[in-house]
Amino acid sequence: MLGSIQLHGLTPRIAVAGIFTTGSVETWRASAHATYRDTTLIQATAAPTAVPGDEVRSQLWRDIEHAAHLLPTQGPISVFVHHNTLHAFEEQPFEKAVLDGFRVFSSEPYWSEERFREELAANRITRDDLVAVLLDDLGDDADQLVGFMGTRFQLRLAMLEQPLGIGTAAELHWLLSETSALEQVSTYTPAHVRHRLIEQTRQWVARENQAGRQQNRAGETLLPEFDQLFPGQQTESWTDEQWESAALHLLWRICMKLVRSAPSPALPIVTPRRHRDLLLKATGQDSDALVHEILIRITSAYLDQGYASWSLPARSHGLWYAFCELFADARPAERWLQGLPEELRRLRAARIDGLASIAESLSVLGVSDVERHDYIVESLLALRGWGGMIWQMETNAEWTPLPAPQGSLVDYLAIQLLLERFALTDVWNAAIAQGMLLPPALPVRSLLPVAGQPSPAAHMIDFREALRNHLSAANALSDEQRAYPLFQLAQVRGWSPLELEQLNIHEWSRLIGEVEAFPDLERRRIFQLAYERHYRERALGAISAHQATVALATQATVTPSFQVITCIDDREESLRRHLEELEPACQTFGAAGFFGVAMYYRGVSEAHFRPLCPVVIKPQHYVIEEVAYSLSASSRYRREAMRMFGQASHGWHVASRSLWAGALTSLVGSFASVPMIARILFPRLTARWRHRFGSLLRPPPVTGLTLTRIADPPAAEDDHLGYSIGEMSQIVERLLRDIGLTDQFAPIVLLLGHGSSSLNNPHESAYNCGACSGGRGGPNARAFARMANREDVRQMLHDRGLVIPPHTIFIGGYHNTCDEDVVYFDLDRLPRPTRQGFERMRAIIDQARAVNAHERCRRFESAPLWQTNEEALEHVEARAEDLSQARPEYNHATNAMCIVGRRSRTRGLFLDRRAFLASYDPTQDTEGSPILTRILQAVVPVCAGISLEYYFSTVDINGYGCGSKLPHNIVSLLGVMEGAASDLRTGLSQQMTEIHEPMRLLFLLETTPQKFDAILARNPPINQLVSRRWVQIAVLDPDSETVRHLVDGQWRVVPKLTDLPQVAASSDWYQGQRGHLGFASVGPWFTGKGPRREVA
Amino acid sequence: MIDLISNVLMSIVVLSPFLLLASIGIPAIVGYPLQERSVARGVQIAVCTGLAAACGVVLLMLITGSRLEVLELGQWVALPSETFHFHIKFVFDRLSVPFCILSFVLVGTIGAFAHRYLHREQGYRRFFLFFAIFLLGMVIASLAGTIETLFVGWELVGLSSALLVAYFQTRLNPVRNGFRVWSVYRVSDAAFLLAAVALHHLHGEGDFSGLMGSTPWPQEAAVLPGNQAFLVGLLLLVAAAGKSALIPFSGWLPRAMEGPTPSSAVFYGALSVHLGAFLLLRVSPILEASWLLSACVVMLGLGSALFAAITASVQTDVKSGLAYASLTQVGLITAEIGLGFRYLALIHIIGHACLRTLQLLRAPTLLQDYRALENAIGERLPAGRAVTPVATEPTRQWLYRMALQRGDWDARLDRWIVQPFLRFFVRMSQLEDRWLRRLDGTTPPASAEQAAGEPTAAPVHVTS
Repeated sequence: MLGSIQLHGLTPRIAVAGIFTTGSVETWRASAHATYRDTTLIQATAAPTAVPGDEVRSQLWRDIEHAAHLLPTQGPISVFVHHNTLHAFEEQPFEKAVLDGFRVFSSEPYWSEERFREELAANRITRDDLVAVLLDDLGDDADQLVGFMGTRFQLRLAMLEQPLGIGTAAELHWLLSETSALEQVSTYTPAHVRHRLIEQTRQWVARENQAGRQQNRAGETLLPEFDQLFPGQQTESWTDEQWESAALHLLWRICMKLVRSAPSPALPIVTPRRHRDLLLKATGQDSDALVHEILIRITSAYLDQGYASWSLPARSHGLWYAFCELFADARPAERWLQGLPEELRRLRAARIDGLASIAESLSVLGVSDVERHDYIVESLLALRGWGGMIWQMETNAEWTPLPAPQGSLVDYLAIQLLLERFALTDVWNAAIAQGMLLPPALPVRSLLPVAGQPSPAAHMIDFREALRNHLSAANALSDEQRAYPLFQLAQVRGWSPLELEQLNIHEWSRLIGEVEAFPDLERRRIFQLAYERHYRERALGAISAHQATVALATQATVTPSFQVITCIDDREESLRRHLEELEPACQTFGAAGFFGVAMYYRGVSEAHFRPLCPVVIKPQHYVIEEVAYSLSASSRYRREAMRMFGQASHGWHVASRSLWAGALTSLVGSFASVPMIARILFPRLTARWRHRFGSLLRPPPVTGLTLTRIADPPAAEDDHLGYSIGEMSQIVERLLRDIGLTDQFAPIVLLLGHGSSSLNNPHESAYNCGACSGGRGGPNARAFARMANREDVRQMLHDRGLVIPPHTIFIGGYHNTCDEDVVYFDLDRLPRPTRQGFERMRAIIDQARAVNAHERCRRFESAPLWQTNEEALEHVEARAEDLSQARPEYNHATNAMCIVGRRSRTRGLFLDRRAFLASYDPTQDTEGSPILTRILQAVVPVCAGISLEYYFSTVDINGYGCGSKLPHNIVSLLGVMEGAASDLRTGLSQQMTEIHEPMRLLFLLETTPQKFDAILARNPPINQLVSRRWVQIAVLDPDSETVRHLVDGQWRVVPKLTDLPQVAASSDWYQGQRGHLGFASVGPWFTGKGPRREVA
Repeated sequence: MIDLISNVLMSIVVLSPFLLLASIGIPAIVGYPLQERSVARGVQIAVCTGLAAACGVVLLMLITGSRLEVLELGQWVALPSETFHFHIKFVFDRLSVPFCILSFVLVGTIGAFAHRYLHREQGYRRFFLFFAIFLLGMVIASLAGTIETLFVGWELVGLSSALLVAYFQTRLNPVRNGFRVWSVYRVSDAAFLLAAVALHHLHGEGDFSGLMGSTPWPQEAAVLPGNQAFLVGLLLLVAAAGKSALIPFSGWLPRAMEGPTPSSAVFYGALSVHLGAFLLLRVSPILEASWLLSACVVMLGLGSALFAAITASVQTDVKSGLAYASLTQVGLITAEIGLGFRYLALIHIIGHACLRTLQLLRAPTLLQDYRALENAIGERLPAGRAVTPVATEPTRQWLYRMALQRGDWDARLDRWIVQPFLRFFVRMSQLEDRWLRRLDGTTPPASAEQAAGEPTAAPVHVTS
């Protein structure tokens, strides 16, 4: 039954595809039977468990669907939503999931040891962190003695501190023969250990010489080449350096000898399933290079959203059909494609659709039912970006101009496997011709089923088996690779050659076992934990210590002069801090940047509605921006001019790529050089002129939002736009109660949505507000302010006990986090008495913008470290308008913490733009913490998604991230490739993540452990992220300075930082510093001056 | 006096890129690589100086009314009996000066762009080193007064192009594609070299002025007879086709988009892709001497233009789209040269280079541009009309497939030229081996396959 249900999903597409006269299962089965009988494939299949029919078909479909979930979930790049890169593994604990990712995607789980050691050297990890984490990790095993070498803990610590220099056999060979590895002891070796090493060697040699070079007990002399080490010199005349070298040679020989005698560890042998991988390893020839060239072209043509002026013929009939039609009568020039058209004609005649073709391909390739699922996964992952994009366009992109028809991924896989059969045949035959592979006993000319010939399937099974056996021999570690870590450890821990030589085989195996039980991946896991611990202990300790400053600040409570509500975004942290420093009487709040207004929005100069709310919410309401009624006539005129201008420039754009029109445009193209040179050499000035010219065409700036709905239900038409009064008051009440702003309203409450503008940046949308699905949050702030200013809304709130005083005015605004511009909306509606206060606030915000720009500039290497605030502001403005700027801003890079609580608890603490700040007042929350619950329901997944995407893109920029921005090439208007043809690159770029510190987000919630545990118990999605350790959790006691950290279900009190620096202003702390900064209490009552590095 | 100033200015034009290359290259060789800022400053100074000097030369030429200025560096090697010379000479005329100024302007602009774009990049200095080689090559090639001087510039441009395509040297595709570009360039270089040798042989020297008469460009007249002109011209046409990616060499052009955006822009949008056309312009008197040759040039140009226009219309990625759009215009320019419209071709080159550079530089803004256009028009962008000169369905299908497969030029070259060539040489090598062994008296090798290629891995038994 299940099978036929599954199949229903496919039938519509089959019916659409014209060649398949009917989509019914019976017809398909009949034709498939015919095919299979003709080609005698059934007998040849390795283990035909079932007649290909409903079950096989639906099983295949399930496998593909399951595999699709492992593909990247990034959709069209113009709507970039941050999400956990390993979302598919989220049900597992973090440490296991990253290893699964390593296994499935071959992408790194953590930074490399080398990279971590750099952090160790830079004091971003300390020895104390390593010790603490290692002790925690080992538990009772820490003190276990490992022979004479000390405890297991000591051994592992040494392995962490000392680079073990493990690489490929070739690297090691180079290391031994070309570097001083056998001449000088490691730089980590203490002086006395070196001395002892030399002394013992000297005695050894003397004894050996005395004994007349008797053979030692292993029956093999260890000093055969000592004479040749320094020819012509007697050992008596050796210098200290020469003895050092001799000692190391001796040590190395002993390590090698002992490793040879110890049993080899059982290494997990990685044997790829795909023929291509095996063949690549065996011969160095890549069949995917052939397949991908065609596959990328046809897929990008199929998915194209309108860049190509000539789109793929028969696109609407599905990928498989279009492909068959296009190539069925081709005469390919490539040798390997010679048989393709004929095969396509056969498939077309036999009415074999994509799914059936996959079944056929798998059968021909000799893929058994057992490994089918994994084989499909590995095949799809070969071009995971494209595969993922097809799946997204098929399942999740109804809003795009041209979503992909259902079943596209199946078609894609069918084409891939079909092409692969041809490519494999070619590579295989070429390898045989070149003598790299010996020919099989039976001649197999191609991987095509040919009537009357034995099926190639049996060959393919043998073929893979033979290659696997061949490869597994080469898979094991060489003796040198095993011996080298011991050699290094011996130098650091002071194990002399004598001692090692005297070990018996049992002890010796134990030592090797101990060392090999702490492999690279484990060491990196410990490093990661230590890295996170370092930041966590400093952060939590600092917040705990900062409470003393908080007490100082809150002694005198005054009515706030104005209040600012920003997004929780980490980039707003510094703006808020500077505002509070510049105007101690102001208050700031943080809330998810859509401010509770979930809507489809269309601006006055925009063509389409776009959702402005988190991705998890589907908006019900539509809002548009309209030009003021009195100006609508002039607006129409401009609109028309704008349209003509747009059409002309689009015409020019298309024409410049065509033949004759292109000739005309390029004849006058010299004029293009003027704006080009101006834009590149003077970006900021040119931008100003462009804006000035553009304002002639832009609609008049006097606009309004259609917020009040006239007729139910909400929809995109005239009277159905907007919200009812009841809905508005719900939105307003909810936000104000969430952030705890229920009394002590200031005369002005400013809401700042945010976004970011930059040029030459395909990832622009990733820089915008995450709570607005990669849109800009200005309209949400504006809509909220308009709602909260309404008399009728306030009346309803009044009835529900939330009193907004009449003199309080809400203002919506928009903060551009790239060029630090702030725009205010609907100022015409500002009552006269409020204007003065507004002007004052605006002046303070203008100052704060400049200081904020100044603080941001310290992270940009191309900005001078010492400049005035105004220069810094100009610098960031130029960045946003600069075509050549690959780093307009650093986006969420360096995010590390999320604080949910009263701002007063962290106000005045320098958080270095690394913390998401959500406002929440535990004193106003009721029994069962409903407010905290709903905040966490939104904040935890969103912030964890951002943090994890940054984590994975940083630890493996090419596997999980999208590599360098520089060769990126926009394709199909959907994503970016590298160069002219590559996989679609997903994730974040190197330029976005280069200053990021990859660690799991640390949540600090102002609540009690009991309340948090209760919330976890009721919210499985949050619980999964917490208990599977995808995030770190700590709580700040609402009534004291106690901070507790959640470790394995236990709450551990974090010690208060005793050395929290105190400075008078933020700028005193960050001035002149480029790198990550530690925490500091900032307040005018402190006298601390001048930048100081974090005390390690 | 004016002669002296003029000579000094002309020397500065040639020297400034040379000094730039030295100032970036020498510190790198001796192990003291320059700071990013110093490199950028160096490019700035060299380009501004060179540009100012070139403008100065133009000014002087306008004042004196001269249409041809020559900077003579003399014969470096001369074997008159073998008709072999290496004669370095730079000419400033109506063709070379605009092209030289264009090179300075575009290279300078892209240099400023790349300074910020490649900031913090590991290969920053490497990029600018290749960039300096490229500038030197462009200046030498555009000002060259003898065919051997032109060849020097031509080689430098080719070398830097291939190296920049392979700029991301840790990834497989850029290196492979860089190698592909390099091989096509070698073929075109070989044709160029043959042409140069043929010229020396037929004419006794490679000096353009001796070759085309002493009147300045474009009024020269070739002194070669028609059939000789055809032979030399055909070789030069092959050279130009390789450099400008005309058919059948078009396959490398989209592959060359592997480098960082600024290098793609300046090389394949602007300067290097026009170098073939420039060569044809430089030797245009030869074209005039043979109508058959002119016809070939026109046909090749129009064919390339048509092919590229259709191919451009199905490309879905912005850089390939622009690459084929470039090729369309280069094809037209070639056809214009064949038809004898030299000034038109020159203006076309300059305008097209500027336009395409801008388009390629802002290619990553495509999504924003499209959104802005949609907002301006107020609806989805109208779908473009394809180039469909023929209406029947099978033909359209064929055309689309041809365009999607980019004409399969690479595969065709591989199959019909490269592989037979390789096979031939392998066969020859085997033959030589066999003969040598026979002469030695040793036994012949066991099998032909083993002589053909060294097995890299131990053979695997596939089936027992």
